[in-house]
Amino acid sequence: MDQAALDLEHRILALMARGMVQPTTDEEFDRLAREVFAFQYERCGPYRAYCDRVKLTPQNVAHWKQIPAVPTSAFKNFGLTSFPVGEAVAEFHTSGTTREKAGKQYLRTLELYEAAIRPNFAAHLVPDNARLTMMILMPSPHEAPHSSLSHMMGVVAREFGTQNSEFYVEDGVLHVERVVRDLSEAQVAHQPVFLLGTAFAFVHLLDHLARQGLKFEISPGSRVMETGGFKGRSREMPKAELYGLIERLIGIPKTRIINEYGMTELSTQFYDGSLQVDRQTDGKAAPPWARVVIIDPNTGREAAQNEHGLIRVYDLANMWSIMCIQTEDLGVTRVDDSASGTDSFEVLGRAAGAEVRGCSLTAEDLKTS
Amino acid sequence: MMSATIEQIREAISRTREARERVWQHRTTDAVITALAQAAKNWLDPKSPWRKRAAEQATTPTGFSEAMVNEAIDLTFGAITYESLGELLDRELGNRRVLDEFCLRGRVQTRAMAPRLIVHFLAGNVPMPGIVSICGGLLLRSANLVKMSTRDPVFPALFLESVREVDAELADCAATLDWPRGELALTQAAVGDADAVIAYGDDHTISALRQLAPPTAKFTGYGHKISFAVIAKEAMTEENLPQLAQAAAFDASVYDQQGCLSPHVFYVEERGQFGPRKFAAALADAMAAYQTRVPRGQLSVEEAAQVVKFRTGYEFAAASDRRLGVWASPTGNDYAVIYDDSPAFVPSCLNRIVFVKPTDGYKRVLDAIQRFASSVSTVGVAPMNERALAFASDLARMGVHRICPIGQMQRPPLSWHHDGRPNLADLVNWTDLG
Repeated sequence: MDQAALDLEHRILALMARGMVQPTTDEEFDRLAREVFAFQYERCGPYRAYCDRVKLTPQNVAHWKQIPAVPTSAFKNFGLTSFPVGEAVAEFHTSGTTREKAGKQYLRTLELYEAAIRPNFAAHLVPDNARLTMMILMPSPHEAPHSSLSHMMGVVAREFGTQNSEFYVEDGVLHVERVVRDLSEAQVAHQPVFLLGTAFAFVHLLDHLARQGLKFEISPGSRVMETGGFKGRSREMPKAELYGLIERLIGIPKTRIINEYGMTELSTQFYDGSLQVDRQTDGKAAPPWARVVIIDPNTGREAAQNEHGLIRVYDLANMWSIMCIQTEDLGVTRVDDSASGTDSFEVLGRAAGAEVRGCSLTAEDLKTS
Repeated sequence: MMSATIEQIREAISRTREARERVWQHRTTDAVITALAQAAKNWLDPKSPWRKRAAEQATTPTGFSEAMVNEAIDLTFGAITYESLGELLDRELGNRRVLDEFCLRGRVQTRAMAPRLIVHFLAGNVPMPGIVSICGGLLLRSANLVKMSTRDPVFPALFLESVREVDAELADCAATLDWPRGELALTQAAVGDADAVIAYGDDHTISALRQLAPPTAKFTGYGHKISFAVIAKEAMTEENLPQLAQAAAFDASVYDQQGCLSPHVFYVEERGQFGPRKFAAALADAMAAYQTRVPRGQLSVEEAAQVVKFRTGYEFAAASDRRLGVWASPTGNDYAVIYDDSPAFVPSCLNRIVFVKPTDGYKRVLDAIQRFASSVSTVGVAPMNERALAFASDLARMGVHRICPIGQMQRPPLSWHHDGRPNLADLVNWTDLG
């Protein structure tokens, strides 16, 4: 590995080490982002070919917002790395349906990835520095070595959870009885807990509680991190309903349920700000080493505030793969009304299967026929 | 949406049925054909007030540009003439006069009795099927209750007004209403006395309506379909290519590719004078020209996001993968032609995103579409020669309902077999004499 690469990584790590409070100026972010862009343009063949095709290269890109974004779908067909794939220390796969090819993210080093996880998680989920027992409704990293989410859970459990933290999905099954047992014990002992899971896992748990007529009133200080949607699963539940049920059946109020927005293709996560001390908001804000821009799909340009568009992420922590990712999710920026005055964004959901206006069959129809 | 009430639905049913009794006695089929043809003709004039009103009102609900609304008017009302209406009846019923009197058929005489009340459930934003459905119902001199589509609450109502201008009593035989799809009580009130139900929509909607319709009613459902085209190597010549590309661009761009007749994929046979990529490039040029003349309509954020996802996904891949090619509108997201080496049939996300795929012959195409052949509406072919005829026979065996020249995909004749069935013959009962 060459000195230039190490140097760049070092500077990004230094930026992350400054923590969450001080935002990066546009100039500072711009300098680093364009450097990462040049780095990735040199070293990632498919990305370079694309940049050449759209005629946006390090030679003519003047601002980070002009850097070409790679669609997440590209991760299914190409190894998008800025280093030799053989040197990867970890490989994460997207979880789509079994019919689709999985997207792959390769890590050159765990250091950058985990440095992106820690301060962001701390600021949003444990701003009170509480060390809670984490009850993680997901498989362990050992069981799911290609899940970036499980890996992340391993990191945060180690960093922020008690020794009793546990993973409750084994062999692909959520062990609800064990969750119930541990929740009961925690309740009896007046111990707050920290539940983390996919929305789908929470629905599964709540269904079980409802069926068994169980209800918990878990201690204050408890909190929830929920993530992911219902990709391809049969039972979808609106967020308000899910949060309402968590509050009713487990006793953790909606204000202590934080949504995490992340994906295999990114190294950085985005959280609701409602637990934070200085900027309590439902919206999500990017940490200092990332930027989120909403793109108007009709023009390809940045959308106005309060206008829905596609979420595009610039993630410096993705230095070893692709920094600028075009997601398939719709979002919107809102002006943050808290003291810091920075913009926050809302995730509106996947831009999937728009209602058909005409009488033509769609890809979705053909899949099920 | 102004929702009808149960009272209004019931009133419309009794009003149209009353009108129908009068018209049935006092109008001949020929008079009805004449009236409908005149009403249609009145739309075609470039300065027609109907055209003007449609252009003003239809763009928002349909999402089409004003130019596309005008295109829809030309296609729809251009197809409705005295000749085509007469031909429809003659072909389907044997003789248009069987609706008026006993006519000789073989050794006996026969006449056709139309349903008293037809309830039409329209769907989608393509105006033509609804207009033709209404024309059919009026030709039969039935009473017609027409539930309009939320995507097009304009054309059916305007059309009836234009009929009213020519023949008010005939127009009284039809009523257009609208109510939310989920309002079961309203739908039940509408179909309760129906003698025939004609339903457009997705499979779910159609089967739900089938359940609600009285068991004695004749039920016709037109579901969503998919279409594509195949170009044989004989058509890929220097002389032929420009007009072929133009015809293909028309088929792919009309109604912003949202109709059941809109091709998703063009299979192009290799080893012609020009190859499939050349066709893709020519098609893109022709679509650019069409876009200038008839712009693609407004897309919702979700629709535009789908288009972007498709385009960028393929554009990224095409930069590195020689098996792919993308010819896309240079600005905006108006159209794109995607060349993909793989023979597998891939549905488009619509809104003028078209695939071009190579093939080594008709047989390979049959293999590619076999698993969903029953969902196919129209297959456009070029040229229409003996090879195409054999291909058409194979397609017919697979359950495909229409094969036609490229350029005609969006212009089925009135008397076509829509989804394989006659339009009117299924609706009538016969009485024989002798």
